[in-house]
Amino acid sequence: MIQADEEALLPAYVRRIPTGGYRSLNPLTKLTLAAVAAIVAFGVRGWTGPAVVLVVVVSSALVAGVLRRMAPFALATLPLVASILLVNTFLYPNAHDVIAVFGPLAPTWTGATAALQATLRVVAFGLSAALFALTTPIDDLLGELERRHVGRRGSFVVGSALGAIPRTVDRAREVVDAQRSRGMDTEGRLWRRFRGLVPLIAPVLFGALAEVEERTMALEARAFTAPGRRTILRELPDSGWQRAVRWLLLVGSIAAVAVSLAGAVKLP
Amino acid sequence: MSGETAVSGETAVSGEAAPRAGLVLAGVGYRYAGASAAALVSIDLRLEPGRVIGLAGANESGKSTLCLVVAGLAPGVIGGRLDGSVRVDGIETTAMRPHELAQRCGLLFQNAATQLSNTKATVFEEVAFGPCNLGLPVAEVVSRVWWALRMAGIEALAPRDPARLSGGQAQLVALASVLALRPGYLVLDEPTSELDPAGTRLVADALARIARETGAGILIVEHKTDVLARIADEVVVLERGAVALSGPAATVLADPRLVALGVEPPAAVRLERAVRVSGIEWPAALAEAIE
Amino acid sequence: MTALGSTAAGSTPAGSTHAGSTAAAPSIELDTVSFAYPDGTRALSNVALRIEPGESVAIVGQNGSGKSTLVRHLNGLLRPTTGRVLLDGRDVRSTHVARLAGLVGLAFQNPDRQLFAGRVSAEVAFGPRNLGVRGPALEERVRAALEEVGLAAEASTNPYDLGYSRRKLLALASVLAMRTPVLVLDEPTTGQDARGVGLVRDVVSRAAGDGRTVIAISHDMRFVAESFRRVVVMREGRVVLEGPPEAVFGEAAWPELRAAYLEPPLPAVAGARLGLGATPTEAALVAALVAGN
Repeated sequence: MIQADEEALLPAYVRRIPTGGYRSLNPLTKLTLAAVAAIVAFGVRGWTGPAVVLVVVVSSALVAGVLRRMAPFALATLPLVASILLVNTFLYPNAHDVIAVFGPLAPTWTGATAALQATLRVVAFGLSAALFALTTPIDDLLGELERRHVGRRGSFVVGSALGAIPRTVDRAREVVDAQRSRGMDTEGRLWRRFRGLVPLIAPVLFGALAEVEERTMALEARAFTAPGRRTILRELPDSGWQRAVRWLLLVGSIAAVAVSLAGAVKLP
Repeated sequence: MSGETAVSGETAVSGEAAPRAGLVLAGVGYRYAGASAAALVSIDLRLEPGRVIGLAGANESGKSTLCLVVAGLAPGVIGGRLDGSVRVDGIETTAMRPHELAQRCGLLFQNAATQLSNTKATVFEEVAFGPCNLGLPVAEVVSRVWWALRMAGIEALAPRDPARLSGGQAQLVALASVLALRPGYLVLDEPTSELDPAGTRLVADALARIARETGAGILIVEHKTDVLARIADEVVVLERGAVALSGPAATVLADPRLVALGVEPPAAVRLERAVRVSGIEWPAALAEAIE
Repeated sequence: MTALGSTAAGSTPAGSTHAGSTAAAPSIELDTVSFAYPDGTRALSNVALRIEPGESVAIVGQNGSGKSTLVRHLNGLLRPTTGRVLLDGRDVRSTHVARLAGLVGLAFQNPDRQLFAGRVSAEVAFGPRNLGVRGPALEERVRAALEEVGLAAEASTNPYDLGYSRRKLLALASVLAMRTPVLVLDEPTTGQDARGVGLVRDVVSRAAGDGRTVIAISHDMRFVAESFRRVVVMREGRVVLEGPPEAVFGEAAWPELRAAYLEPPLPAVAGARLGLGATPTEAALVAALVAGN
């Protein structure tokens, strides 16, 4: 049987050939883009790094049609952003360009600028991670890593654990419910005491450990440790130029950080 | 589904060419690593292809341990000490690697959620996970998946997200996932205990169909003796790691010693007993009524 | 909703509950309760249900029919999206869960969601200690609760050295020790062998005998028919049928029961086929046969 026929046997929902610019990139290319975004957003000084990342990420998201679904990810960075803004604006060390004085508090322009820049970095990174997560099924990434012989068991365990996060959250919620039903006061001050945490943490931990053991056995029962190459149902498109771009981007971003740190080029 | 004929043809050939010797336990004892007492003591058991053996007994009487031993996970994966011999179609389980064993004897646990990979987007891919691990050609993988889904009675679920299924459906997907490795024998440890009555019926129906149509031998641990009364050919009752009762399902399930062994008899058996104890004649109409 | 017959305990005045070690049970009223989870899943739709003090009520239905969501409203873990839950006429919304825990004891389906202590006795002491019980009174409660579930000999064992079914009995004991006037059990018999089911059965009848209100979710129709005076059938978030076992498992209710993916227990089927009327339990069927002879 020839390859084309084999592919035709697969139902359409399994073939799921990704369409459209960003989406059709190989998962590794997308992973590289996310990594490069992090390097540039945090590594290149001034406004240039985060601004470039933000523009690229937002326009990619627009093309991939996931811009609106990224909103929760942006919201998730809020607590961090809020603390960055407050701490830098009000407590920036050795800044004297005071904007106004509110009692003991004296926000400074230097602090505000630094805060805004840090915020931009965090948001840029958060959105690039969101873009990757929203456009790449875990299974695709695992398949690609495996094709390149990146530790099969290791990558599977990580992927499987990621997939189990929603269930772990559910489990934790049920543990809290069960202990509250037994009169544990999670609304009052007991909550803050260490002893009060044991009844909440222990069942979640034990549950997770027991699950790992059962999972290991279940994997054996599904021939996970069979030697030799695995069958990959969907060959995801990759190409010479994508490989080249990946290396180029990685090397380029590191170089950009180096240049920026050395201060050789003046950046806004 | 053009590959189906090829697969069933292949089975038929291998089935006829080498008659299967069954899954045979002879004088099996097992002790968990670090445990002071043995969990299983000199167990003899024979599971023929196409037959269903129900395994019952009080809690902590060794049923789950026996499942692990039969499937080769004990001592293969979890260690411990095994005495006697466990042979699957004539081959000693200790001589096989886990992935080889998985193709001869499939194991299904109580909790479907931990058996699914958590990484697959569709039920089809979840079921394909095992055959893909074996490196089979795509055509073979595809035909095995359809075959396993059909046997489990869940072809319609193929495009669904495995994370969004009911308990009964998830257990059937786990069952299909194990079936896709085309094991000659299946070992199931309380597969219906987390399910509601409708889910229990689905799983029991699927198991009966699998035994009938694929010639797989099935060993099932089950508290619900009504399920065993429906699908089991034989029943074995364990007590403190040893076989206390064994024989044809109807005989063992009607045995007066069952309750003392921690096993609730099926509803029909209990009813008949209750009526007889009351001293009145067992009405023939009642026998018909509970058929 | 179809209400069948008169509910047995509905006619029992609250005053008839004899004085036990627990406070008098409150009446429980769900006043057109609807509940939707944050993701929009509608789990309860206009549930109206009144449970008198001392009643024993089984809630049955398919997985996902709203049973667990319903009982989580009784001790305030969940608050209705619309409608009210009243204990003795007081809206539970105004009371802390920790306070309600002294009134409504809820044993979860999966014991592993709550076991944390290194010793069985410490696990059982957790609940009553939270309620302020100390010293000899606490020890007595722990001892009695372990006795009740047959774990008296395991007081100093590590809970995780027990098998699943005994861990489940331990979780039950940890709620029993709180001696709440209302006892709510989520699938107490699953995973139990004949002896375990017998222990759970005894726990239910003893609690009911003490005048406590007992509410249990179960898939085991024999347990439901034999141990409860009232059965509530749920389907897709609604109460679709309720009444005493004789009515809910009676032939007239079978179509509704089957629509909820449930089957009547065997004695009920046999009784109906023999024209003996409603015989939901073996005892009822035998009695009807004896009477007919």
